[in-house]
Parts: sequence; C-alpha cells; structure tokens
Amino acid sequence: MKLRDSLWLSFHNLMLHKIRSILTSLGIIFGVGSVIAMLSISEGAKREALSQIESMGVDNILISTRRPPPAGKDVSENTNNSNMETYGLTERDRKHILRMDNVQSISTARNSRKSILRGTTRLDVSLFGVTLDFLNACRSDIVEGRWLSPVDGDRNVCVIGMGAKRSLFSITERDIVGRVIGVGDDAYVIVGILENLKGTTIDGVGSPNNGIFISKKASDAIYGKMSVERVNGRTQIEVVDYDTFIVKVMDVSYIDYTAKRIAAYLSKMHNDVKDWEMVVPLDILKQREQTQNIFTIVMSSIAGISLLVGGIGIMNIMLANVYERRKEIGTRRALGAQKGDIIRQFLFETIFLTSIGGSIGVALGLLIAKIVTQYANWPVAFSIWFIMLALLISAVIGIIFGTYPAWKAAQQNPIDVLRAE
Amino acid sequence: MSAITQKETGGEALFLGDIRKTYHTGTVDVPVLKGVNFEVRRGEFIGIMGSSGSGKSTLLNILGLLDKPSSGVYRLDGQAVETLSDYELTMIRNIKIGFVFQAFNLFPHLTVQENIEVPMMYAGVDIKTRHRISEEMAGKVKLAHRLDHRPTQLSGGECQRVAVARSLVNNPTFILADEPTGNLDEKTGTEIMNLFHELHRAGTTIVMVTHNPQYESEYDRVIYLRNGRKWRVIDNVNHKTEEFET
Repeated sequence: MKLRDSLWLSFHNLMLHKIRSILTSLGIIFGVGSVIAMLSISEGAKREALSQIESMGVDNILISTRRPPPAGKDVSENTNNSNMETYGLTERDRKHILRMDNVQSISTARNSRKSILRGTTRLDVSLFGVTLDFLNACRSDIVEGRWLSPVDGDRNVCVIGMGAKRSLFSITERDIVGRVIGVGDDAYVIVGILENLKGTTIDGVGSPNNGIFISKKASDAIYGKMSVERVNGRTQIEVVDYDTFIVKVMDVSYIDYTAKRIAAYLSKMHNDVKDWEMVVPLDILKQREQTQNIFTIVMSSIAGISLLVGGIGIMNIMLANVYERRKEIGTRRALGAQKGDIIRQFLFETIFLTSIGGSIGVALGLLIAKIVTQYANWPVAFSIWFIMLALLISAVIGIIFGTYPAWKAAQQNPIDVLRAE
Repeated sequence: MSAITQKETGGEALFLGDIRKTYHTGTVDVPVLKGVNFEVRRGEFIGIMGSSGSGKSTLLNILGLLDKPSSGVYRLDGQAVETLSDYELTMIRNIKIGFVFQAFNLFPHLTVQENIEVPMMYAGVDIKTRHRISEEMAGKVKLAHRLDHRPTQLSGGECQRVAVARSLVNNPTFILADEPTGNLDEKTGTEIMNLFHELHRAGTTIVMVTHNPQYESEYDRVIYLRNGRKWRVIDNVNHKTEEFET
C-alpha cells in the first residue's frame, strides 16, 4: 500500500469521529500547552533577569558604602548631643583598588546627603558628586543638553535625571536646560538631562533617573567629605569619602578573582567592619541562571508527567478502538492488507491525534502565556524552537503510545471476525 | 498479471488433496475436516453446501487462505500454498482471490468508488488506474451512477453488487463468495445470483459457500459436505450424481 494512501486512510478515519478525536487528545493538548506556557514564562523570566543584570554591566564590580551596624559603636563617645561617624569607602581604597591587576577604571559617586525640596515637600531625589565617566558607568544617556565636562571646573552646573526632572518641575514646563535649581544654600545651573532606559539600579545611588549630578570637583569644593544633619534634636555628623565605586575590569573572565582580591583588601583595611558591600552582576547572573534551570527542570517534569498521562489515555482509547473495529480490520486483512498496512494505519491515526493535539496545545500554551503577561505582568518570550520541540514531542508520544495498539490490531485473526455480525 | 490469469477455460484453478483440519482444544482433538478432495477448473461455478457443523466454514477459511490446513495439498493457480508466509498469503489473497461476504463488509465511511478500490489500494495500484478500473467494474454491476454514494444510502442488493465489483478489481483467479444471498430477500437474492451467472458466462471462476439448497441446480457442480467429508457431488453439466461414504 502506498504511503499516501495510508496517510489518507488514517486521517479519514479520525475525521469520522471528530469529537472523540479531540477528547482523546485532550491530555496531549494540556500537556503540550503546559510545556509551551512553562517554556515561554521561564524563558521570559530568564531574559528579564539577564537584561536587568546586564543593565548593571557584566564587566563591573559595584562597591557601595554601608552605614555600619550600631553594635560596634561606642555610645559614651557622644559629646554635646552630637555624634560623629567616619565610615565607608575612602580615597585610599580607591587608589589601592585602581592599582590592582585587571582593574581598568573606577567611577565614583558621593551622596551630598542634602534634602531636596520642592516648596516644603521633601523629594525622593539626591545630589551626587560623580566622576566624569559616571554617565557611561551607570549606562545612561543624555536626552537633552550635555553631560558634565572638564571645562566646568568647580562651577555650579548639574545634570538631572529624568525622574528628578519630573519631581522638580511640572509636566508643562519646557526649556529645563538653563534653569537654576537650589539645593540647600547652593544653586546649580542645569546643563543637561539624562535618562536610563535599562532599569539600572546601583547600590548607593539607586536609579540614575532620580539623581542630580555635579562633578566630583564641585562636590569636593562645596560639600567636602562631611555632612551634618539634625536628627531628633541631635546633630549627626558623618564623614564619608565615597558612596559608590563602579569598578570596571579589563578581562571579564578574571572578574571573580579581582572581586575576591578587592573584598580581601577592604576587609583588612576596614578592620572587618562591614561598612561596605560588593555586588558582582555577573555572579548574580550565574546564580539566577542556576535557579532558573532548577525551576525549568521542575516544570519540565510536571509537564512531562502530564504528557505521559495524555499518552496513556490515547493508548487506552486506541486499544478500545482496535477492539471496536475488529470487523473492519478482518475485512481489510481478507482483502489484502498486510500486517504492516494495519500497523501503519493505526500508528498514523495515533500520530495524527497527538500531532493535532500538540498543535492545539501550542495555541493553548501561547494563549496561557499571553494571559500571564497580561494579568500577572510576567515577561514571557516565545521562540519558534519551543513550537518545533512541542510538535516533535507530540509526534514521538504518538509513536510510543500508538505502537502497541497498532501491533495489537495487526495481530487480529481475520477468521474470528469475518463471520461475526 | 493478466498473462497469468487469462489462462484457458478448463485448466486447473484450485486443487485440494486430502485436506484435513484438526482443532486442539485442551486435551481433546476435534477433527473438523477429515480429508477433502476436489478441484475447480477455470470458468467453473461451484457451490459448496452443507449444514452447520459440516466443516463448511473451515473449508471456506482454508480456501480463502485465512487458515492453514493441518495436512493436505492446496494448490491455487498452480502454486502450493501450505508453506507460504503470512506476507505471501496476504499478497495472494489480495490478487488471486475475490472475497464476497454475507454481510457485504463494506466500509461505511467510504464511497462506493472508494470501497471498490480498496483491494487495488493494498495492491499498490496508482490512483488513476484505480479510478478507471473501479468505474469499469461499477458499470459491470450496474452501479455506475452510484459511485459517490455511501453504503448506508444503498439497498442491500446494491451493497452486495458493490462487494462483487470490489472482488473483481484485481482480476482474481476465483471469486470466493460466502452466503452472498444470506442477508437478502428472495427477489434480491435472485438478482445477485443472476449477476454471478453473468460473470460466470463471461468466464469468471466462482466458488460459493452456502447452506441454502435453493439454487442447487444453478451451479456447474455442487459439492456437499457432511461431518468434514465430501459425501455427494452433483454435476449439473454432465447430469451426474456421485455419492461417497462418510
């Protein structure tokens, strides 16, 4: 029998029982649907994690200043209701780290710790003194005006982030560049607006969008290293050189080694006081990928089980089908169907069933993924490979679970059935 | 194919020599056929008759290559078939035997034309030739106008005519008909018998298995079975009756 004829015959038989065929392949539909949904969601999560972490820069090591835990503080040192603390990353740390192998450059930022007000409202905006390469290090772009330049010297000019602009000015105001903003007793001319579209957050700085940036030179001249604040009637004096280092390495493959050396150095220099924190985006990326892989394995197993159950369901129905069609099989054998023809007929029927079920499952899975994006706001990602994989799996399931019923059909003895009414 | 089957009328089509069949049920052996001998010549119209329990069905299965005899010689178109594999037997069934069943055994979901084409499909005949032959055969059984109908839309007599057309498509050595009028009323049964007579006149070899003595006089020869043996042969051509001990 020609292959074309076998395929036609099998398809024809399925079309006779459309509802039954659909019901039979329900297991496969849901199995494949869950595989597709799972793959899309996990791939989406993966890609988002990737872009999030990449937004911090995979060739960066981020070090930030932390206020040390109060346990080690000597309370009796308090005089005149005031409290002076010196902590965090220092100029000496910067110079030392810069001399290490594999370190290309260090961008720094120092928070002025000044409240920024609009009228009497305190805004969620901070002013930072930064090195001139900070714009690249924080992965932001100038959308209006210009970035800080060496020729500014210690003049009072600033660049504000997009979020800071929204906080400081009303939405209808135009021509922000050139305007003057006041911070404490000082006033700054806005020379540019920056925007970060990658969702970068940097420890010690936060989102670049919510910053006002002045040059390190101006910051040193105006604020120095000391900040004075009155908290609960007490004067709080803090001496902090830097809040953030963004260390750029030359060779990413040695980033772990470099990070370890920096950590060892800082622990030693800071007498094991944990007033600093280190983040290696590449490390986080690897960890995230690992958890992601575990998640994927677990989800795959669940999807695999549902596919298995679906396959067994199909095998069951096909076996019943073989019994029901004994007379047809016997007649075909009498008229010249070889055992192979019968096997092919039933096997193709099963493969058609699982493949059609698989196709519907793909559509269902995409729909689920779509709904998840819509309502749970999870990122999902589709790939043509998922669909190919799902269809391949369903065809393979058809072969695995269709072989036994098909073989059973071919073993039917035509004598037993031909005279049966 | 046509060169083999278009042998002269009168030559040997089938030969059965001392065919025996014993079924083993547990410890008891049940002999069903106890040595059946006869031959069928090309162009003959043979009736095989016997009541139930005579071994008629078993003989039918053996003639149709659906079952193997326990011993004896069965030659079909000059070829001994006892030692052939299932695959070879199926091929011979497909090409050299045209089956007609009591219950028609048509495929209800296929059209008349598709039903007629089934044996050709299994023989690997291409679709164009299939269409040509099925139309020709439908014409022979006077159903050319019903090619697109389904069996459920046909009367019993028409269904059996479709089955007869189907049995002819591979130009078989003989037609093996199993009670072809059993499911039909008398008038329609006679029509079907007339169709067989027409085919017979055109040179087709036919073996018909039946328990109905109504058409006894219409066969060239009638072979009666009783208790697994041939006990009487009526030769309507030479007007002779032979009887055997059983």
